[in-house]
Amino acid sequence: MACVSTEVTAPAARGFRTIRGRLLFWVLAVTVPIYAATLYLSYQSAAERLEAGAARDADDLASTLAASLDTVIRPIEGGVRTVAYQLEEVDPPREEYPLRIHGILAAWPDVYGSTIATEVNGQDPQSRPFAPYYFRRAGRIEYSDLALDSYSYRDLPWYRRAADSRAPLWSQPYFDEGGGDIWMVTYSAPFFRKAPAGRELAGVVTADLDLAWVRDVARRVTLGPTGVGWLTSPPASRTFVATLGETSRRIASDETGDETRLREHAERMLSAHEDFSLLADGLAHQPTYVSVRVLETLGWRLTVAVPQHELLTEARRHLRQQLWSGAAGFLLLILAISFVAARVSRPIHSLAVAVGRAEEGHLEFDLPAPSTRDETGVLTAALSRLRDSLKRHVELRAETLAAESRLGHELQIAARIQQSMLPHGAAAQTPEGTRVAAALVPAKEVGGDFYDYFVLRDGRLLFAVGDVSDKGIPAALFMARLSGLLRVLGNAGSPPEQLLAELNARIVDGNDACMFATLGCGLLNPGTGRLQYASAGHDPPLLRRADGVVLALPVENGPAVGIDAGVEYRLAESYMAPGDTLVLYTDGVSEVETGDGEQFGAARLAELVRSDSGDPQSLVRHIADMATQYAADSQVVDDLTVLAVSLQPAMVEGWIDTRGEHWRIRPAATVVGIQQAQRWLRAALLARAVPAERIADTELIAEEVLTNIARNNAARVRELRLSIECTLSAAGIALEFRDDGVAFDPFARTAPRLDADITDREVGGLGIHLVQQVADESAYAFVDGHNVLNIFLKFSPTPHGATA
Amino acid sequence: MSLKIHLQESNTPTLSLEGRLDTHTAPNLDKILDGVLARKGIQRMVFDLGKLEYLSSAGIRCFVRARKALEPAGGKVAIVNPQPAVQKVLEIVKAIPEGGIFRSIAELDAYLDEMQRKVREGE
Repeated sequence: MACVSTEVTAPAARGFRTIRGRLLFWVLAVTVPIYAATLYLSYQSAAERLEAGAARDADDLASTLAASLDTVIRPIEGGVRTVAYQLEEVDPPREEYPLRIHGILAAWPDVYGSTIATEVNGQDPQSRPFAPYYFRRAGRIEYSDLALDSYSYRDLPWYRRAADSRAPLWSQPYFDEGGGDIWMVTYSAPFFRKAPAGRELAGVVTADLDLAWVRDVARRVTLGPTGVGWLTSPPASRTFVATLGETSRRIASDETGDETRLREHAERMLSAHEDFSLLADGLAHQPTYVSVRVLETLGWRLTVAVPQHELLTEARRHLRQQLWSGAAGFLLLILAISFVAARVSRPIHSLAVAVGRAEEGHLEFDLPAPSTRDETGVLTAALSRLRDSLKRHVELRAETLAAESRLGHELQIAARIQQSMLPHGAAAQTPEGTRVAAALVPAKEVGGDFYDYFVLRDGRLLFAVGDVSDKGIPAALFMARLSGLLRVLGNAGSPPEQLLAELNARIVDGNDACMFATLGCGLLNPGTGRLQYASAGHDPPLLRRADGVVLALPVENGPAVGIDAGVEYRLAESYMAPGDTLVLYTDGVSEVETGDGEQFGAARLAELVRSDSGDPQSLVRHIADMATQYAADSQVVDDLTVLAVSLQPAMVEGWIDTRGEHWRIRPAATVVGIQQAQRWLRAALLARAVPAERIADTELIAEEVLTNIARNNAARVRELRLSIECTLSAAGIALEFRDDGVAFDPFARTAPRLDADITDREVGGLGIHLVQQVADESAYAFVDGHNVLNIFLKFSPTPHGATA
Repeated sequence: MSLKIHLQESNTPTLSLEGRLDTHTAPNLDKILDGVLARKGIQRMVFDLGKLEYLSSAGIRCFVRARKALEPAGGKVAIVNPQPAVQKVLEIVKAIPEGGIFRSIAELDAYLDEMQRKVREGE
């Protein structure tokens, strides 16, 4: 035997769908941008600090360089101005000039050469150009006379500018071509002598400074690993340039144009009064910071260029460090969150896995033990309680369903029993000459409606329809009791009003449940059409006459049975004509409602009864179908019961035409047959409310004529065919007697001698006389071998006594 | 629907009829009449029809028969308290002579007393 086991798989939550995944995602989603922004700002601030530092470094470098230059230059300035002052104050003779010049050279080894050039006064013929120049060459001091004709020193800039400005000043650096072949700068200080017109220029003292040392000073400057810089003289046709630090090695030749580009940029910065800026196309066409300063000394420019990447190297290194440490931090964060989230969500996860397996019919899932006292613990405990109560509920429901099914089965059996209590139209249950049909549509399996009909020992038909106040099982039990009592009590043959009273007395006794029932009960004599009826709170039955008239049977209603003891009921007596049908129903039929609350109603029921044929079978079926259909869109909420009894004696046939309602009776030509024919005539006429006198007349005529016919054919062997057709119209009653016996005209006999002495009178022979006297019209004919006797009885007032 | 016959035996036999006296029931009355009429010396006979609902010619035959049995000997048949329908039939066929039908037993008794007085006076 193959055993298939199905594993119930729960949809396990994974990845982002787990609490841990989402916690990680959201924590990182929030912290990573914050950290990135912090890093960025930190980097920006570091870069700004570095830039500010670079600018400050340039300032420092500028002041350092200026100081370095000043240590050399300022003393020379002082010395030269001292000599100039002494020349002015002392005014030594020209012969002492070389001594003083030597003094200068001796005092300052950086001074390449020096001269004292005298002014030439045009008014003084004594005055001649005099400019002894002493200079260093190969370690010795040599002499040169500048006052040679070829060298008109007074027109040279070093002399002219100092003379014109009447103040000491430095020349621009210049390359002493042909002289020392070195870069030099000359300090010129004018000296004056007292004259009537004030101080007049007496000459100029100069010191030529070899700028080689400036290059040394510049070379000693320390720049960054890739930085470059220059100390340059103000722009001129030929500019002195001293490279700073390692610059000369970094930019050996200006093939790339970097130097030119940077220095031009520096000049532009100066004109724009900028001292620090970023040149996008700087060193090696890379972004480069450029600082430029103008030294107070000599107005020289200091230009320093540092590639951006170098300046920001520190910031970038720092940024990298921070990135690495941040990454490590995030890794730790992820681990920590994972750990914490796992700890928090593990119970929830195992809870989800356990509960996820749950489904109807599989509630045996194991819940993890509630380890914590947090929400998860509460949830687990609650789910455990929920599961247990659900299990109990499911078990309870299964038990309930089983009980319901058992009850349903019992109800089915009960319904069958209840159905079997109802008569089913067996021939034994209906007397000859009647037809009965009934239907009961219970709203539930069993109901409180019932009907019954059965033949009493005297041949009458007892029929009843009842409706118990409640529905369902209580009503069914009550109905069973009522039905049994009706059978027992009804068989005694008491008239309906007594039957109801007895029934009520029995039911009231011990009716602790206070149930009650409406009940309509009738007795029909199938041989005479006599109907007795009584009602205990029930709707009056409908009488469908063969002529199509439908009317409610006039009944005086009594109280429902089961309420009060000692209740009396009233009997309603009437007659049914052959072909008439009586319809009994419960309010389930008349009060059945459509979905929108419209009642089927007694009027609709009456119309249905009128339009249908008088056959109980079809009538009952139609009413039940119609009422059920009517309730189809809602539901049959009350039991529906309908019962129809029709009187259909075998010897009578009825029909209607324009002349009126007809009954044809075919009695046997016997005493009993005659009596039966009389009864049917009587029943039909009573049922149509014909005046009693005319009914009596009709009966009398029928008896006399039929007796006469029977007597005339008494010797006959073959059965006599005899019929009476009674036609009821508004004018009166027409009777046609027809027989195939010997031709005999009853009216041909002489009238009996009524006035004769009793001893002379015949005992018989009075019948035809009676007929003639009672009838309004009478005629005899012999047609097609039949005796046909027509009698007419008017309804109009006929003073009959007068004819006698 | 049948005929109930109650016979009160005395010098004046009284037959109370209830129900229908017709072709079907007349033979029953005939049988009882046989017994009553067989007795000697009956001068009077009373039919109480207070509860007779229907009468046909077959029933009338019974009355006529009783009359034929009594009247030749000077006897008399009295009908008491007939219902209108019955009285109508009796009148149509003149089954009972004038003065033979009484509205009640009391009227009959008064009539009979009068008759006895006349007989006594006549003696």
